[in-house]
Amino acid sequence: METLSHDIIIIGAGIAGLRAAIAAAQFNKIDVAVVSKVYPVRSHSVCAQGGTGAVLRDGDSFDLHAWDTVKGSDFLADQDVVELFVRRAPQEIVALDHWGCPWSRTEDGKINQRRFGGHSFPRACFAADMTGFHEMHVLDGKAKTFDNVKFYDEWFVVSLLVKDKTVAGLTAIDIKTGEMCALRAKAVVMATGGHERIYGFTTFSHTATGDGMTIAYRVGAQLKDMEFIQFHPTGLVPPGVLITEGARGEGGYLLNSKGERFMKRYAPERMELAPRDIIARAEMTEILEGRGLEGPYGHYIALDIRHLGEEKINERLPLIRDVAIKLGGIDPVKEPIPIRPAAHYSMGGIHANIKTETPISGLYAVGECSCMSLHGANRLGTNSTSDCLVFGAIGGEEAAKHAMSKSLIELPNDQVLSSEKRVFDEILGSEGDERVATIRDEMRAIMNDKVWIFRTGDGLMSALKGVKELRERFGKITVDDKSRQFNTGLIGALQLDFTLDLAEVTITSALARTESRGAHSRRDYTKRDDENWLKHTLAYCTKEGPRLEYAPVTIAKWPPTARTY
Amino acid sequence: MASKVEKVVEFKIHRFSPEEGKHYVSTHSVPIRKGMTLLDALLHIKDNFDETLAFRSSCRMGICGSCGIVVNGKPVLACYTQILHLDSDTLVIEPLPKMTVIKDLVVDIQPFLDTYSRIKPILIKSKDSLKEPEVFTQSTADLKKYWDLSLCTKCSICYSACPATIDEKFLGPSTYATNYRFIIDSRDEGQEERLKDMADNLWLCTSCNSCTLFCPKEIDPSTSIVDERSLMVETGGVPRTVRDILTSVVRYHNPLGMHPSKRMDWAKDVEVKNYPAVEKADILCFMGCAPAFDPRSQAIAKSMISLFNRLGVNFATLGIEEWCCGDHILRLGEKGLFDMLAEHNVSMFAKFNSQRILTLSPHCYNTFKHDPPYSDKKLNVQHYTQFLADAIKAGKLKPTKTINKKITYHDPCFLGKRNEIYDPPRQILKAINGIELVEMKRTRENSFCCGGGAGRTWTEDAVPEKRPCVNRVKEALELNVSVIATACPFCVTTLEDAVKVLDVEEKIEIKDVLELLDEAI
Repeated sequence: METLSHDIIIIGAGIAGLRAAIAAAQFNKIDVAVVSKVYPVRSHSVCAQGGTGAVLRDGDSFDLHAWDTVKGSDFLADQDVVELFVRRAPQEIVALDHWGCPWSRTEDGKINQRRFGGHSFPRACFAADMTGFHEMHVLDGKAKTFDNVKFYDEWFVVSLLVKDKTVAGLTAIDIKTGEMCALRAKAVVMATGGHERIYGFTTFSHTATGDGMTIAYRVGAQLKDMEFIQFHPTGLVPPGVLITEGARGEGGYLLNSKGERFMKRYAPERMELAPRDIIARAEMTEILEGRGLEGPYGHYIALDIRHLGEEKINERLPLIRDVAIKLGGIDPVKEPIPIRPAAHYSMGGIHANIKTETPISGLYAVGECSCMSLHGANRLGTNSTSDCLVFGAIGGEEAAKHAMSKSLIELPNDQVLSSEKRVFDEILGSEGDERVATIRDEMRAIMNDKVWIFRTGDGLMSALKGVKELRERFGKITVDDKSRQFNTGLIGALQLDFTLDLAEVTITSALARTESRGAHSRRDYTKRDDENWLKHTLAYCTKEGPRLEYAPVTIAKWPPTARTY
Repeated sequence: MASKVEKVVEFKIHRFSPEEGKHYVSTHSVPIRKGMTLLDALLHIKDNFDETLAFRSSCRMGICGSCGIVVNGKPVLACYTQILHLDSDTLVIEPLPKMTVIKDLVVDIQPFLDTYSRIKPILIKSKDSLKEPEVFTQSTADLKKYWDLSLCTKCSICYSACPATIDEKFLGPSTYATNYRFIIDSRDEGQEERLKDMADNLWLCTSCNSCTLFCPKEIDPSTSIVDERSLMVETGGVPRTVRDILTSVVRYHNPLGMHPSKRMDWAKDVEVKNYPAVEKADILCFMGCAPAFDPRSQAIAKSMISLFNRLGVNFATLGIEEWCCGDHILRLGEKGLFDMLAEHNVSMFAKFNSQRILTLSPHCYNTFKHDPPYSDKKLNVQHYTQFLADAIKAGKLKPTKTINKKITYHDPCFLGKRNEIYDPPRQILKAINGIELVEMKRTRENSFCCGGGAGRTWTEDAVPEKRPCVNRVKEALELNVSVIATACPFCVTTLEDAVKVLDVEEKIEIKDVLELLDEAI
């Protein structure tokens, strides 16, 4: 097997990964590699639409952004992390401007900002409704100006190699040839995104399967707060793709079957711009109480932006108009858009500190796959792309500093061999009668049915049992394609292997948390319980499944209070 | 919760197994529901019928650019194409052309992505202006100038459809569009540097419009290349071959370097009335420069005159007062020169009393239809294929002689892709007894450019295997036809060049539809 070496390897090339690569590459003696299973501009970050939150103008303040974030998080965010985040976000907006991001502008040529849910000031910088897309293409262009960054595009990372709780490198498959390689590095930055593909109805790209979370978890990093899954209030029916919160930021209404703006009963002040967890619950309540609209793909809620007028829709929301026409057969200029909450974001992820360090020396985690914890129990819209930029940069810098002071350590060959055995013998070589697509779809059905917006202990227990059975069945799969080159069947099986672990951790964490906080809403424990549950869940990987421990929340300026909007 | 099955569609997927080096076709019947995209169908096939099928996909909302494929000859994003809209019970699915197939529908896009390393896809700023930790200001109007061009997802569809990318010197439509997007970004300071790298390759674009036609994000790279050329013309970065053409047009009002007094020499032995001898006719024939000066094209012009006289049409030409229409000149980026030509021709149209203008060349037709100042005049203009197809339909013209030949028709881009005139030339050919008309694989809107547009017919200096015309003639040869018919003097010339280069003059000949019809009357 071929072995390659770099100072730093970044896994994943979305906003966080590319930002980390740029930050690391600026230390010009550092040799950086970016390994991604898709070409960088195919990453799920291009789907981010509405905006990137940052304090830019008078009337807004770091304290206000921080307070909005903390309150939005239902007080589970670590407030030191929030403080650092809000202070560094503006410089990221400036950097993107300098590199060429086509920010939408105000009359006087300044970067425009729009309203977003849970923010008490219009602070979402945006590039129409393709903010993530434009950020990605700018970052991709910038990252490619460095001679010391090498891209391994369409390489699928299989495992991390760790010796004495220190990163030694990783194993990956070059998808084109199907050959496995070992890559050595002094530091690895995980930037692989979230895992909402464990659900059926999701805004997520097909390729965003949360691989890095499992890869880190299996070598001893903890997964933190995985029970907190954000359901975006406006997933297009039927495909589930995102219809930006910007549609409401620009003034769109949510209507039930009676034509009522029902948010008046749930968040009378903020209405459609309440935080996402609150709106998602409101929508589900409307549907469950019989006030959803009926369509061929089940009940839905109407997102009405007609009153904004065609000109404003074309200027501010061109993508979602196009998407609604092409995928929903609906022109939002003429008809309301059929929507429903869709699994959208993981507040949880690989346990990392404020410097993005994980408990494994040399392993860093940034972006959605990480949890430091900035978003607590519920993330505010626009804070994810800012998070990727701010902590992507910090992760790249920290990893570079680490790499400069260390040398490569010897590869643990037994781990390389077992990784090879796992992929080619146990998965590609498996000769059972189970199908990857069937197990995958059953997992998603379980998650949709029992680990959705409203949860119960019974439901979660039955979901856990179901997922464990699926894990058993996974041992009996057959991958029909036995060849090596561009074997997407094998990639699908490896991804399912990773997501099954993540489903299990998500359910286990949710089952243990007997309270309702932010996006985690228990029918059998409907109140927030600060006395017992103002703490982070930490899941450790063991042979018997996840073992849970808990860690305190960093409270600085703002002790928990009642959360109303 | 699924909606009902509307119909069952047969998918014929072109596959490739790299291990066995084998190409084959797999066929699958897929139940189609309302709202289903091509990507949904591919996923259905992979999950239910054949897990080994390889294709790329990710965002499923048209923004990541992963899933470019060809359906029934047309390149599309699978996730952004509704199956019911295709209105077909059989769908032939192929990988994007041009790039090497890795497996099934997966192609190697690395050569395409590498073209971006030859431009700088971020702002070029002086060190000083980047020191200030301030955002730049940009008016909404300045943002709008480049916004549409910034929407490129790098899906590679335009690159795969582009005839000029046969030559790797040519960067590809989206790469030039991205380069131009930065040039016109008011924050950018790198125009000179950005143009410099384009000077010897930008001219390979033939303005065939495939990139613009197929872009899933409705970007118009074709026009942005013309705009980029205009900057090149302004800043003097024009290669000698192009400069020669422009100089000739300035001096002689034609690109062929011929003295304008000789414009009607070709018509000495045919019966045709000309301005200023006549100032009025039912039809004004705009002959074009190639038919006026190029011996091969003159034969086509003579066929046209012969047919019109047979039809008893009351027609005339502008004689030596006809100037180059300017289509090629405009697309070479010389907008000022184009305006001069157009103003003259427009003034002549005003002086000459006729009900309609008929063009021999699709290029004249196109520019009269779409480019101001011509288009402002809303001229009643027709291409000859439309006029003659109508005459045949009305029974005024009856081809009587038999031509026993297997023929294929090559769609000129300026007639087809740019003006959707696909049927009239075919109707004419079908009206001729004995002709067996067969279609090339790339036909109608999916046709492949001959490589002669935007002045390239005169500037061509690529080696044969990098010329689009050679590629095109090879495609026709596969059909075992003895004639490639077309309806454009430039297509005739470039395709004939390819026939000579390939040394297949014994096997195949290039004919204008006019010549075949004239022969059959």
